[in-house]
Amino acid sequence: MIISAQGLTKTFTTKSRKGAKKVEAVRGVDLRVEKGEIFGVLGPNGAGKTTTIRMLATLLVPDSGQATVAGHDLVADPSGVRRNLGYVSQAGGVEEQNTPRAQVVFAARAHRVQNPVEAADQVLRRFDLHEIADRPGRTLSGGQKRRVAIALGLVHAPPLLFLDEPTTGLDPQNRANLWERIRELRDLGTSVLLSTHYLDEADALCDRLAIVDHGVVVAEGTPGDLKRELSGDVVTLRTTETERAARVLAPLARESRVDDDVLRVYVDDGEHTLPVLLRRLEEEGLALKSVALDRSTLDDVFLAKTGRSLRDTGAETGATA
Amino acid sequence: MIRDTALFFAHEARNTLRNPIWPLFGITQPVLYLLLFAPLFAGGSFQGEMGTALSTFAPGMLVITALFGSMGVAYGTIFELRNGVLERIAVSPVWRPSIVLGRMLRDVAVLMVQSLAVMLVAMAMGLRVGPLGVLLMLALLAVTGLFASGVAYGLALSLRDENAMGQIMQFFALPLMLLSGALLPMAFGPDWLETISWFTPFYHPVEAGRALFAGDFGDVSVPLAFGIMLGLAALTVTWSVRSLRRLAG
Repeated sequence: MIISAQGLTKTFTTKSRKGAKKVEAVRGVDLRVEKGEIFGVLGPNGAGKTTTIRMLATLLVPDSGQATVAGHDLVADPSGVRRNLGYVSQAGGVEEQNTPRAQVVFAARAHRVQNPVEAADQVLRRFDLHEIADRPGRTLSGGQKRRVAIALGLVHAPPLLFLDEPTTGLDPQNRANLWERIRELRDLGTSVLLSTHYLDEADALCDRLAIVDHGVVVAEGTPGDLKRELSGDVVTLRTTETERAARVLAPLARESRVDDDVLRVYVDDGEHTLPVLLRRLEEEGLALKSVALDRSTLDDVFLAKTGRSLRDTGAETGATA
Repeated sequence: MIRDTALFFAHEARNTLRNPIWPLFGITQPVLYLLLFAPLFAGGSFQGEMGTALSTFAPGMLVITALFGSMGVAYGTIFELRNGVLERIAVSPVWRPSIVLGRMLRDVAVLMVQSLAVMLVAMAMGLRVGPLGVLLMLALLAVTGLFASGVAYGLALSLRDENAMGQIMQFFALPLMLLSGALLPMAFGPDWLETISWFTPFYHPVEAGRALFAGDFGDVSVPLAFGIMLGLAALTVTWSVRSLRRLAG
């Protein structure tokens, strides 16, 4: 196990004219990350993802709880953790006035790499940056900057890499490219902890993930297990009488959720259950506006665990705490 | 510790050398004062005796170089704070104080070059100072610069806001410059004004600089200025290093 954390908490006190206000950013997070896996922390903005990662990266001291990161105790031996860690923040930390090469060489020196110039050259080539390595940082595109940021975190070949929202703000092509790079890292034996608010990213990229909301882990497992646990398919029905429809269909469903005029019914075998569902509704004289059948997604898992849809939480906008 | 400080110093110095135009801008103000104001000063108070006038006027311009030079340096640090550069460095095994200490040493090194340039201009205009005077003045300016950049980084790391930083700097820079007596010696004014100025930091290096350029190495203002500047530098450097602790907010 490369990360093992129990009961991490962090409360911030924000001072304003109205007086001090306490914000419980992380209210008790347990994480277990195995060596060589890509572990995702999925949750909406403000769920405590960044605070958790910053605590594990020794940037914040947890108020309580304990953790071992890359074989070193987080609180007792933070420098041991730092030596074995690559950290790529959401902001990236790419200097505007400086060339990627100079920055990566400097990062290598800061991490006491034996041959900093050579190590920098290797990591720049690995991320296809050698051609733009001698241009000032400000002239790089968003995707290039992201790759420089990751190169900066990897130049000392750490066994563990933290990526905080690595693909936020990237176009689809750059995202797909970055996913590929992250998978390559896993193939080379690097363990990766990444945070994301993108469902598809967590689903496609992560071996295992923890869903966090309001500072606690609400579910943990492989994307497949999480979805299976919930059940395979979801039938989304629009009707004016959702409550009655839900009661009528309850014996046929593993679980159902009502959300305004939308009723979601979770079933094991959607293809065969759907005709039965529709017949029952017709027998009861319930009129339908629309019906859809989908495989359940991580959003359904999130909805089942938190009562909210990740898409409704403003995941695409605003700042992450 | 020393290794890491040297590492940051080298990195920052290289960044400065890549764009040496900014330190050059830093000395335009004192040099313009020397060229366009010193003759008035000499005519007004020294019967046009340029050499004597400059030994009184040039120390003030050198202290102004230290004061204004340090004001700009920490703006970049606020950007690096927001940009994640400092955060990234903080997750490495480097000795954290070296992050600011390396930058301060770079600032002092830049200030030394700037001060020499200002002195050369003053000498070209008629200032006569011996090598000991020049060396002691540079040492005094180094400590003064350390104090000023300690304030700048401390403010930058605590405020984390360019606008607030600009306002505070503006608010203090003018009264501190006027009360330092850099433009006109405070002895020219009433006693109460001189008393107030005694309690402002930059008054002392200006007074000591005048004694040094006049060849009065034993003047009491010299050890006093070194003592006060060393004390203030120690305080502000400690403050800015401590502000680093809250790097992640």
